[in-house]
Amino acid sequence: MYYILAFIAGTLTIISMVTNATLAKYVGTAQSTFVNFIAGLLISLIMFFFFNNQSLAFINFPLWALLGGFLAVFIVIITNLVIPKIPAIYTSLLIFIGQLLTGIIIDFLVNHSANKNKIIGVSIIVLGLFFNFMVDKKDNKKEINLKCENSIS
Amino acid sequence: MLILTYLKEVYMYKLGAVFAGILVAAMIFFNGTLTGYFGNSTTLVIIHTIGLITISLFLILKREKILINKKIPFYLFLGGAIGVILVSFNNICFMNIGVSLTIALGLFGQTVMSLIIDSFGLLGLKKHKFDVKKLIGLSLIFIGTIIMSIN
Repeated sequence: MYYILAFIAGTLTIISMVTNATLAKYVGTAQSTFVNFIAGLLISLIMFFFFNNQSLAFINFPLWALLGGFLAVFIVIITNLVIPKIPAIYTSLLIFIGQLLTGIIIDFLVNHSANKNKIIGVSIIVLGLFFNFMVDKKDNKKEINLKCENSIS
Repeated sequence: MLILTYLKEVYMYKLGAVFAGILVAAMIFFNGTLTGYFGNSTTLVIIHTIGLITISLFLILKREKILINKKIPFYLFLGGAIGVILVSFNNICFMNIGVSLTIALGLFGQTVMSLIIDSFGLLGLKKHKFDVKKLIGLSLIFIGTIIMSIN
């Protein structure tokens, strides 16, 4: 049951990003991001009123933890720009790689330890990605050559 | 010139995607800290409020003309809502089956869905036909994901 839920969450990730990028085609990146956060805020407010069982109290917390919401804006803007340009599968995998590498670095800085399996796994993933990029490159070159030939003739 | 535009097309957006991933990791770190203080649903509200303020300031500074109108298909406005739902799914799974399995299964779901979107050109994206040779790369990615989730 939870396995299926995790799988569905993954499919929703890319659907959410692509939906937003398509909206950006109509209204531009900034306004699309704006819509994204309005819809997100509405749903999270609804969930807050239905499911929140913690009492609200003012807690002392480090202000830098608020940076997450700030970063989220840039993430939405960048994915909006990237998604129309490259296949969705590459967007997914490249974001994943950036995330993993940074995760390993953060772990290393905070705990001074590195997980061997993670590093091996990431290297194999990067290898697989580059292999597929090479396949793409050949296709692209063929396309460019075709275009040149057409423009000459 | 052709070579320059070619390089730009091929690498700039891919680097952009990697950069977005770096930001995602940093964001998860910050948001995780907040969740430790406030719990799940309150954190979601805080994050979205901060995000909304940031992008509003950005819009005010840019003084763009508002292009949002009724002709745009309604489902396109739901991206943010879907985002919140998937985060709560993830949180439920984190608690029950652990972090690495959730991430591995999530990536698997994302890969399958991305391939479907690409090969049919769904949701307004360009069609990218599936090349059978890419199965080699994809199986490498799959093996890497499995190795990663072994602790």
